[in-house]
Amino acid sequence: MTTETSVIGKSLPMLDAYEKVTGKLKYAGDMPAHHRMHYAKVLRSPYAHARVVSIDTSAAEALPGVSAVITHQDDITGKQKTCGTPWVDPSFNFRGPMISEEVCFVGDEVAAVSAVDEDVAREALKLIEVEYEELPAVFDLEEAMRADAPQVRPWGPNTLPPSLFEWGDIEQGFAEADMILENRVTMGNQQHAPLDRNACIASWEGDRLSVWTSTQALFWMRDALTDFFDLSPSKVRVYSTPTGGSFGLWWGNNFMFLAAALARKSKRPVRLVLTRDEVQTTVKRRERPLIDVKIGLTKDGRMTAQSFRHILDNGAYGNKFDPYQSVADIYTTEHGRVEFIGVATNLVTAGCMRGVGDLTLAYAIEQTVDMAAEKLDMDPVEFHLMNHWKTGDICHTSQEVVFAKLLFNKNPQVELTSSGLAECITRGADAIDWSNKWKGWGKPSSVEGHKVRGIGMGISTHISGLAFFGFNGITVKVNPDGTMALTTGIGRMGQAGDTTQAMVCAEVMGVELEDINVIDGDSEVCGHTMVTFGSNGMHMVARATKAAAEHAREQLLEYAAKHLEANAADLDIKDRRVFVKGSEERGVTLKELMSTPIYEYLAPPEVIGSASKGVEFEKAGKMMMADFAEVEIDTRTAQMKLLKFVAVHDSGTIVNPAVCENQVAGGYYQSMGFSTTEHLVFDDETGAILNPNFMDYKLMGPLDMPDPEIMFEEVYDEHGPFGAKGIGEGVTCAVPIAISNAVYNAIGARIDPPITPDKILQALKPKT
Amino acid sequence: MNAINLKINKEHYDVLVKPHWSLAYVIREKVGLTGTKTGCEMGTCGSCTLLLDGKPVFSCLRMAIDAQGCDIRTIEGVEEENNGELHPLQEAFVQDHGMQCGFCTPGMIIAAKHLLEHNPDPTEQEVREAIGGHLCRCGTYIRIVRSILNAAAVMRAGS
Repeated sequence: MTTETSVIGKSLPMLDAYEKVTGKLKYAGDMPAHHRMHYAKVLRSPYAHARVVSIDTSAAEALPGVSAVITHQDDITGKQKTCGTPWVDPSFNFRGPMISEEVCFVGDEVAAVSAVDEDVAREALKLIEVEYEELPAVFDLEEAMRADAPQVRPWGPNTLPPSLFEWGDIEQGFAEADMILENRVTMGNQQHAPLDRNACIASWEGDRLSVWTSTQALFWMRDALTDFFDLSPSKVRVYSTPTGGSFGLWWGNNFMFLAAALARKSKRPVRLVLTRDEVQTTVKRRERPLIDVKIGLTKDGRMTAQSFRHILDNGAYGNKFDPYQSVADIYTTEHGRVEFIGVATNLVTAGCMRGVGDLTLAYAIEQTVDMAAEKLDMDPVEFHLMNHWKTGDICHTSQEVVFAKLLFNKNPQVELTSSGLAECITRGADAIDWSNKWKGWGKPSSVEGHKVRGIGMGISTHISGLAFFGFNGITVKVNPDGTMALTTGIGRMGQAGDTTQAMVCAEVMGVELEDINVIDGDSEVCGHTMVTFGSNGMHMVARATKAAAEHAREQLLEYAAKHLEANAADLDIKDRRVFVKGSEERGVTLKELMSTPIYEYLAPPEVIGSASKGVEFEKAGKMMMADFAEVEIDTRTAQMKLLKFVAVHDSGTIVNPAVCENQVAGGYYQSMGFSTTEHLVFDDETGAILNPNFMDYKLMGPLDMPDPEIMFEEVYDEHGPFGAKGIGEGVTCAVPIAISNAVYNAIGARIDPPITPDKILQALKPKT
Repeated sequence: MNAINLKINKEHYDVLVKPHWSLAYVIREKVGLTGTKTGCEMGTCGSCTLLLDGKPVFSCLRMAIDAQGCDIRTIEGVEEENNGELHPLQEAFVQDHGMQCGFCTPGMIIAAKHLLEHNPDPTEQEVREAIGGHLCRCGTYIRIVRSILNAAAVMRAGS
């Protein structure tokens, strides 16, 4: 089903585009200084694991200009491990004490100082004397899982209880197979690396706390603050400013709590802005996986069973134990077994980064599938079309199934609402000219002297939000001139979430996008809105936005019915004007309607639409994507060059094509980084990150790679507002698969990300 | 502290600076013009680009104390220089979605403005080279390049 739309489907400029091109948009680090504000700096652990035996801050406190020093002795401890779900701790980085006596990674917080300026604060850090007792540390996932491994953090075991999903009879599934393939995959450490740096200002008025920070998790942030400082939610107000890119980095962090603690102790507003080095090494990174895959197939290429064990690196304070946020149910098999195990290590915390879960597991599955298809001598396009996930299939490994079990002891089935995978695969194959370029397994598509070319493909899926992220409470207020204010807690991270939510509102209300003023990111003003991650904005949050707009529309039509002496049911709104269907000359503009007194009340109407909606989880809309790549490898220099990249996405209805193209392009660039140059290098001995800057951690620049060819397969999703699904995260997921498989076909070697010249050189060496 | 005078977007600012403070730091923290962004503070991201005596520079690598007497232009001055209206580059970035989070945008626009002032009809490769030292972590390069090329066409048609 599709409906005719006037706003949805247009590449309208972002609402905050003007502020962005004029430099007026205020990110957290741009917030104007408050009266009497002081500046914070953090003292960090040089050890991967140690106990603070003694800490002397007297010299720092005595330094003129210093207003407060906090250490573990201030004993500010989080009490609540969860926010009513087994998964969501208020900070999502639960560590008990805000500053612990036991530091668990290089860069962990030991003390923080506020002072009249950053120079004095930095000077004060040097005056703090700390005596550490070094403790044994562990960095390797499998070592950390051993019974005799050092305990990574003061609470809990290194290895969290696994989440297990089983369906059918796995033994039977493998018994039915003619061929069984096993594979083990691990990958590099990516960092979110937004250009903006994490920043916040905290300020107390008596027992009321206000925090300004760029966060995508407004309400979790508020809840974590109430927890640390033992406050009622009515005493905490969080203002989330736009982020200069997030990709998962701007939630579940500890630094903003330090600012709030310093502000309380110094009785002043305190600002903390992290340095680039701190952003890269002390906040978060993408989890590093260790994945074992086993699949069974019949001779004709049908998959009979799939089994995965996904070990997720949590680093020091992460707590993943489940399919996180989702994993690639890419293929439908009657029998399956999937196990997720979260493991702590004494490395910087690992947490969500764009495409989490799917990016790594889809890679492992797809590489194994590629290997299997080779054994069967089957074209991968053909293999994918035969086995891929289809509309109505079951999401066996949904995170929501885990929580339904943990919270309600139930075993529900989650059903996929729509899948355009087949079309994505077919269109992508055409665009890259697969039928001509595919020369068989491990065979280059062409060879020119020392340059060999290869093509590869991969598919993936990703969630469009998860129901347990919570309810969405949205309001739409109509102004006397017919413009509107939309309140929403959706975060502004560059994904144009405010713009596309406003487009949904404008579509329902029969007005233009420019008529909508979005008021976002104020925990006191906005209704609870899902944390802006997991690509939930359009598929889930917008359901409430649409309902709130519909509620306002209903009221408008009632008042217009009085005004026009007609039945509300006979009215429609278009181009900012309410009119009688069938006789359009009988109408009233919204401006006139909203500013003209109604006889009964002797006053013009006030219209406020609202909706608070949860999302039923048993029907899941997932985005689907098929990516294709052609690479060229110079066999003399071991340099790889990407020649062509095709990305075909099914995100349902495309609400704003330009925004969505930018999302897909961005996922491609970031995942090309993950595939080739982006890799945090940890020192084997100390666990310190050796490349904490953009000089040594290479991001893709404007000259580094070709533009991708982007296509949308707009499969209308009946559950999404106007047929839309999510887009923001899945855009990364299939990229490394396509690249790595293309490299295999070029040179006959499987190389896992990061695919670097040294690995290619090694692979090119003649086998002896 | 050293008393200096900075001329930024044709206005004069008296500021007290320490010798080690970067121009980017002083413009943001002491003058309060936060349109100039600081992503890396080591000359690797391009966010802090401004025009110093007509040339684009990474202001995080320049000392404020050396900038006295220079003609400094930041993103905040671009609209004003264009008679209070959006510069064609700004307009093109808005219309063509030449940004996502917008953090790299001021630096990109400053670099592109310098390019178009010296080369009104650049090739795509020349545009990419002009912004070659600028990162966009959102990966918006396709539309950034398109915005600059479209603005160039508008400016050529208008001159």
